[in-house]
Amino acid sequence: MATRTEEDFTEATRRRRRPRPTFAWVAQVVSGVLLLVLLTAHMVAQHFVVEGGLRTYDQVIAWIRNPVVFAVEALLLVCVTWHGIAGVHAVLLDLGLRGRAERIVARVLLDLAVATILYGLWLLYMLAFRG
Amino acid sequence: MMRAGLRRGDKRRLVPRWLDPHGRHLGTWAFVANRLTGLGLVVYLYLHLVILSTLLRGPEAWDGLVELFRRPVFLAFDVLLVAGLAFHGFNGLRVALVGSGLLVDRHKALLVAAGTLVGLVTLVAAVRIVG
Repeated sequence: MATRTEEDFTEATRRRRRPRPTFAWVAQVVSGVLLLVLLTAHMVAQHFVVEGGLRTYDQVIAWIRNPVVFAVEALLLVCVTWHGIAGVHAVLLDLGLRGRAERIVARVLLDLAVATILYGLWLLYMLAFRG
Repeated sequence: MMRAGLRRGDKRRLVPRWLDPHGRHLGTWAFVANRLTGLGLVVYLYLHLVILSTLLRGPEAWDGLVELFRRPVFLAFDVLLVAGLAFHGFNGLRVALVGSGLLVDRHKALLVAAGTLVGLVTLVAAVRIVG
């Protein structure tokens, strides 16, 4: 069995002292990494490869009717809303929001996130199937 | 979650402390800038949803808006948006790595790498959007 060096011990100690990541932190990191990929795809496909930088109405409707594009845009909507609303909550915690006020604000933010996602999905559906 | 050096339960005014330059390292400023760009991007998310809702009003409404958005002031705003997204994305990745205990000793190099990537992405976007 290998002898533990001083450096190993220091690292092990440092790891033990580090608090366990919260669900909010992990979700923020995961949604952030997903957004790096999804937003890059969104910006390139929607703006950089299109003549003039923006799609016309007919081009938008034809584009969003592609099932893969629809799914990617829906996933982007969920990730960006979660990441944004959770980020606002984190900032409010930084600014000292605590107790009952924090619980009320967290509930309002959660409702806002759900409403945003539902509206965005409805908008996508209307454009893809009724546009 | 990382708190940019602010202690939990601190009753003093936290916004001025956030922006207080005394004893602040570059990494902390980058963290604060990440929060501020994040809040700006959340505002833009809802503005974006409002703009996309114009699609429900048909081709004339949307195509008129597209013409408006091709004006130089809006193109400049697009470049600013890409810069904000790139900064928040790459610097957010740095914050996630350091906050998760990874590459903590390389946080300055990560900051330089993030800054370089933001500059490159913004430059390419500016050439593509304005050029």
